[in-house]
Amino acid sequence: MTSAPAVRCVRLTKRLPSGAEMLTILDGVDLEILTGESVAILGPSGSGKSTLLGLMAGLDRPSDGEVWIAGARIDRMSEDELSLLRRRQIGFVFQSFQLLANLTALENVLLPLELTGVRGARARATELLREVGLGDRTHHYPAQLSGGEQQRVALARAFAPEPSILFADEPTGNLDGATGASILGLLASLRETRGTTLILVTHDGEVARAAQRRVHLRGGRVERVEATA
Amino acid sequence: MKARAAIAFALRESRGARGRLMFFAACLALGVAAIVGVAALIGAIGDGIRSRSRELLGADVSIQARRELPAELDERIAALATSGPARRTDSRELTTMARNPRSGESELVELTGVGAGYPLYGAVQLDPPGVLDDLGDERAAVGPELLHELGIALGERFQLGDAEFTASAVVLDEPGRLGAAFQAGPRVFTSLAGLDRTGLLGFGSRVRYRALVQVPLAMSPAAVDAWAARLEKELPGAEYLNVETASEAQPTIRRSLQRIERYLALAALLSLVLGGVGVAQIVRAWVATRTQAVAVMRALGFRPREVLFLFATHVALLAAVASLAGAVAGTFLPFLLPALAPELLPRGIELAWEPWSIVRGTLLGVAIALAFAIPPLTAVWRVAPARVLRAEVEPLPAPRLVTWGAFAFVALGVLASAWVQAGSFLLALAFTGGVAVAAGLLALGAFGLTRLADLLPRAKLPVWLVHGTSALARPGAGTRGAVVALGLGVLVVAATALIEQQLSYRLRTALPADAPTVFLLDVQPDQWAGVEAVLQRHGADNVRAVPVVTARLTSIDDVDVGRLAATRGDGQLDRPRWVLTREQRLTWMRELPPDNQLVEGALWSDPATAEVSLEQDFAADLGARIGSVLRFDVQGVPVELTVTSIRTVEWESFSINFFLVAEPGALDAAPHALLGAARIDAEAEQPFQNELARTFANVTPIRVRTVLEKVMDVLGKLAVGVRMLGGFTIVVGLLILAGVASAGAVHRAREVALLKALGVRRITIAGLFATEFGLMGLVSGLVGGVAAAVLAWVFLDRIAEAGGPFAWWAPVVAALATAILAAACGLLASARALSARPIETLRG
Repeated sequence: MTSAPAVRCVRLTKRLPSGAEMLTILDGVDLEILTGESVAILGPSGSGKSTLLGLMAGLDRPSDGEVWIAGARIDRMSEDELSLLRRRQIGFVFQSFQLLANLTALENVLLPLELTGVRGARARATELLREVGLGDRTHHYPAQLSGGEQQRVALARAFAPEPSILFADEPTGNLDGATGASILGLLASLRETRGTTLILVTHDGEVARAAQRRVHLRGGRVERVEATA
Repeated sequence: MKARAAIAFALRESRGARGRLMFFAACLALGVAAIVGVAALIGAIGDGIRSRSRELLGADVSIQARRELPAELDERIAALATSGPARRTDSRELTTMARNPRSGESELVELTGVGAGYPLYGAVQLDPPGVLDDLGDERAAVGPELLHELGIALGERFQLGDAEFTASAVVLDEPGRLGAAFQAGPRVFTSLAGLDRTGLLGFGSRVRYRALVQVPLAMSPAAVDAWAARLEKELPGAEYLNVETASEAQPTIRRSLQRIERYLALAALLSLVLGGVGVAQIVRAWVATRTQAVAVMRALGFRPREVLFLFATHVALLAAVASLAGAVAGTFLPFLLPALAPELLPRGIELAWEPWSIVRGTLLGVAIALAFAIPPLTAVWRVAPARVLRAEVEPLPAPRLVTWGAFAFVALGVLASAWVQAGSFLLALAFTGGVAVAAGLLALGAFGLTRLADLLPRAKLPVWLVHGTSALARPGAGTRGAVVALGLGVLVVAATALIEQQLSYRLRTALPADAPTVFLLDVQPDQWAGVEAVLQRHGADNVRAVPVVTARLTSIDDVDVGRLAATRGDGQLDRPRWVLTREQRLTWMRELPPDNQLVEGALWSDPATAEVSLEQDFAADLGARIGSVLRFDVQGVPVELTVTSIRTVEWESFSINFFLVAEPGALDAAPHALLGAARIDAEAEQPFQNELARTFANVTPIRVRTVLEKVMDVLGKLAVGVRMLGGFTIVVGLLILAGVASAGAVHRAREVALLKALGVRRITIAGLFATEFGLMGLVSGLVGGVAAAVLAWVFLDRIAEAGGPFAWWAPVVAALATAILAAACGLLASARALSARPIETLRG
């Protein structure tokens, strides 16, 4: 028997109010992502990429349709259940890094570990920061770090609790080309050594090429799916 | 999540937030300092009383009565002496006149004749140093005021009753006297033999007889109490005795201390509650700046309650530090008191550290901070985790339980704190309800102000008024919190000031034009003609005299007074014990004076029985009705009177009135004295008193004007304490206002720079700020002032029954004063914003 897919979307629909009317952002998306797979979600702005990511990660709620993660239906979970799900299984990397400004690099990485109360959190966080190349900057505050460095801290934070699925929302969107490439390389190597499922949202075809599958969105629908041979 | 992680988080949250932390700390520390100050002071006095209770009582057991103590007391003491030596000494105390025989000056004094060894513990401090035993027959120790009033020096002679004494020492300190308590006049001590020489112990005099007993050393306190309890049951006339033991430690003083503590503690709590309002404001602003961080934490898998827990830990840690600082500062307050208001301390009490009050104050500070922080913290439920992806996400609906739970949390927090403070659930409930109603009214006022600011026709107004008012309506201006806090402060200060001022005014002016100004006690019937002549010589009018018979009530409807008294406590408000066991005073008259009104029954309606008419409240306290048979012991002769009428008395008339009026003839045979009353001009009072002291030394004049002055003096001293605590609340209110001003400083600086760039002059901008804060102050002062006037009126008219007009002017004065104060405070707090330069608009 095959194990359940990492993520499964069934007729996933999201409508938002826009003035007096309802605007359909996502329109009946069906998608299945296997465990350990890396998938890029591509599309022009406004195609519903980030919305799809938010729904799959349980950050947002669909207007219609279903979302399943590791065999559990999440779209009807309570806020608390969703929190626990994210804490145990999901990691995030964002375009704007989303580090807490009043915490040092190390403390930012520690935050999710403190939440689960794992042993040796500090050693693990320090090791991860070393792995992303910031071993000597653990006590710097985000404002004292460059954009690329901040995103490395974000990567370390995302991998620290060892999630089974990592969601990345335009992880290189705020970085220059070279820095972006090194972040992508780092992301790939961290993922491969841990076998993490990766779901990456980007509008950049270059970035998407690294993924095993590419899902193209347009107007809230899946336009086509292509797989790397 | 582990506590250590939460604490680590809380500490990290404090980084780079000095302004917020200082303001937060100040809000709480002030309130806690007030609470701890009151608790430490009362606690220290209470401890002092307990630890020195023997010296304060001067004995292990004290037995006091209005008549000679029963001879059996000696047998009881002798029985004690089997386990070791026991001692007894006696004192007799009365109020009488002291007189300078050369100048004729006279003064009312509290005279105590003391036996050998008085007091049995502790000492009355004399200057020159000595003991009361050395007074002999002809010397007296006197309070320093008496020397001044009579114009004599130490070593000179003065007169008490029929005898002359040499003032040989000044009384510096007498244990067990509360300085602020009412005293009829200066203290005078003589020996018992000396007191006998005065001839004042004759019939009709009002003497308190007291025996002090020292028990054998080996007796345990419990055994002493048991022995004293048996005296109170078994001695003849036991129900009329007042027995006190050292282990009870001055129940009267401690009871009044407790009463004072309750109200002062609640007044102090109000400052802390206002600090809580400040905390709520700060937390709301803080959480608003942390929305994005909360969204990130939610995305990382924090549940809302975990975020709340982290933030609440931050609040609790800060509150603990701030409260501890306030508590330590508060413990110093009692040490300032001897310097500021020494008369509030009982004599012979030393202040001590009260570590427990620090702990209690700190805990209260943390509790109030948390109670008020939780509602704004529930905003974390509304932060959508999807905010990490895009800023314009709809906030989530907060669970209804959370919203209502937060309000319940504040209410319960205040209620619990008030319960801890007042030690009475009902009082705590009243306090919480009162604060809630006042806060609700003030919030309504603030809401009205913002609406009004919105509706103002902007076009027709000068620029400073337009901007000043529109700033109030700006969302998140914090107007409501500031108005509520400041208004509550105004309420406390204005209400106490009004009550004190009105009460004082009423007491000074309430004397009706024909009311007596002097009462003459213990006039013997054969002296009346002479006394009347003295009165006439000093221009007195409305001269009256009524017979007074003193008696003990022995039974009501055949139920023994001892049995009735056993079921009642002295402290209880309803039907107290002393009503039964006091020395009852009866008079007789054919017709009632006009200020008496029959409400039940008919006067002297049954020719077959000897009748008595009771005052309504007194009858209720006795538990007597029409038809009840009261039996009295009149100087050893039993007299039976039947209640045939109940009447009300208009006590405000200040005329002679009695609880018990008997039918003429019923008491004819009883020995009696006369109670005289007359109206004398204020200037004639002292010469009259001097002549009376010379000619009728046994007669005690009570001057109404002097008594009122003394009552006002005591009231004034207590009011100082309440007003000081009220001052704390005003300061906290202004602090919150300043917080509102400085929280908007960045925004304001930009606004100022823009206005300046547009060519608005600095003075106009200052006017604009002053208008904004002044309007807030105006509303706070108005609503607080109206509430204070209502409260004062209710208290005076309904509770104190002093009547008096509604203080319409108070809200106006309060509104104007608060407006000025608030405007000044707001301008000060936005001084930096005011100095912003136009160039800053370009920098953005």
